Amino acid sequence: MTSPVVKRPFERLILSALESLPVAAFYAKTRGWPFVIAWIHRLTGIFMVVYIWFHILTLSSLAIPSEYDAKMKYFGFVFISFLEWLLAVPVIFHALNGGRLILYEIFATRNDESMIRWVFGLAVTYVLLLGLLMIMGNQSVSPIFFWLTSLIFSVSPGYLVASKIWNTASSLAWKLQRISGVFLLIIIPAHLLFMHLQPAIGHESNVVITRMQSKFIKFVDLTLVIAVLYHAGYGLMSILKDYLKFRLLQNGLTILIFLMMAVFGWIGIRLTLTL
Amino acid sequence: MSRENPQTQVFMINLKIRRFDPDENRSWIQKYTLEASRIMRFVDLLRKINDEQDPTLAWVSSCEHGQCGTCSMKVNGKPLLACELLVENAIYYFRTDTFYIEPLNVAPVIRDLIVDFTKAYDRVDQVKPYIIKPVLPRSEGDEFPITPQELERYVNATRCINCFCCAAACISSHETFLGPNAMLNSIVRVMDPREQEKEQRLKILYGYQGVCRCHSSRACSFVCPKEIDVAHFIALAKEGRITKLKS
Repeated sequence: MTSPVVKRPFERLILSALESLPVAAFYAKTRGWPFVIAWIHRLTGIFMVVYIWFHILTLSSLAIPSEYDAKMKYFGFVFISFLEWLLAVPVIFHALNGGRLILYEIFATRNDESMIRWVFGLAVTYVLLLGLLMIMGNQSVSPIFFWLTSLIFSVSPGYLVASKIWNTASSLAWKLQRISGVFLLIIIPAHLLFMHLQPAIGHESNVVITRMQSKFIKFVDLTLVIAVLYHAGYGLMSILKDYLKFRLLQNGLTILIFLMMAVFGWIGIRLTLTL
Repeated sequence: MSRENPQTQVFMINLKIRRFDPDENRSWIQKYTLEASRIMRFVDLLRKINDEQDPTLAWVSSCEHGQCGTCSMKVNGKPLLACELLVENAIYYFRTDTFYIEPLNVAPVIRDLIVDFTKAYDRVDQVKPYIIKPVLPRSEGDEFPITPQELERYVNATRCINCFCCAAACISSHETFLGPNAMLNSIVRVMDPREQEKEQRLKILYGYQGVCRCHSSRACSFVCPKEIDVAHFIALAKEGRITKLKS
């Protein structure tokens, strides 16, 4: 009946604030903080599935540049920019916490409390960095250089995870979930950073379309779409299997999720290839 | 809340117990207020209710020494063994003298705090919690030698008493996942050098009801009354390390 040992005074301060939240405090007391974090991981995941559908639909209007530019005018508003910045919170939390889970499950890192501290510390750093870049709004970098670097840093841990788990008896779908997760862990936060180096990068159709003429950028975007939708689909299916009793219902909804992901995948892939 | 000196301290305890009458298919919360000394356990409180207030309250215990797992229940939402929870520890931990007691949600409730453990055990039975094909000793009558290094890897997992506290706490619910304790029972036998039959065990362990359903929320380790790091063993299985002696 002991609580995890917290040594640092500021952590005690944060924990006492968190313990005043009724639901979180209840589950922290009865299941432990990692359980609460697992729920946050799950909820941020569901949120991002919905967001990615919205994101793909928004981007699909790039087929008609004027329509895209009209939509992007809204993203110039301060409040919408603030929401865009807030989006980084679930994204980076889900990414880093996913990284923590990979380290725990696949690389035998058992000092989990320390890993949780890193997740929160790095998440706060990233969100502040992104906010700073958004406020500055005048940074530029070569897209090829940025994405090549990001790809190398994403594929390398993906390969490392694959080589660790490939020969285990786990299902291929489960392995791909871990591999896609660790790949996205780097490349999605990188994507978010890149898109906010300056407003034109993501908000002006001619800039986006010019960038996407590069075969390499097309390849990166295709990889991104496939990995995100696979990871999202498996995640949703996994949650459903936790709560649905009947195999028939589980399988029916799995097919529905697969179809949804296939439709959004088709929209994303077609857009990338035709621009 | 209390009176007298700490050694003979007496508390007025409020127990709100979820009750269930199968005859009328009726469920309700019943409140009991009773005096309790600091070192009384929750099974003692339930017994005191039976003796002094309400003989119809149904609950179950067996060894009452934390070895059989029969008296597992939820106290203020936390799955635990009622025979291990002292009144003073409960007051300190939950910072209240009111406790909401309910049965574990791992199987249908038979009556009040009694759940149908046969149904819960069905899930454990699926992993065959016994040695299917034992390696025979070198000569008849000999014991099978296990090195301390081998034993050290899994000996903690052998302490599982199948109280189902981990299963009740698990984020994965019970609809598909066989449960952390069932996984532990399987992992122990895979790691046990006396077991020859690994293939069918691995098939269940890595099947759709197996370790892939675990999300490493580590609630199992948090609530385990035997302080087994259940999540650690499940993670070993995910990593594929349970079949090898050396990492």
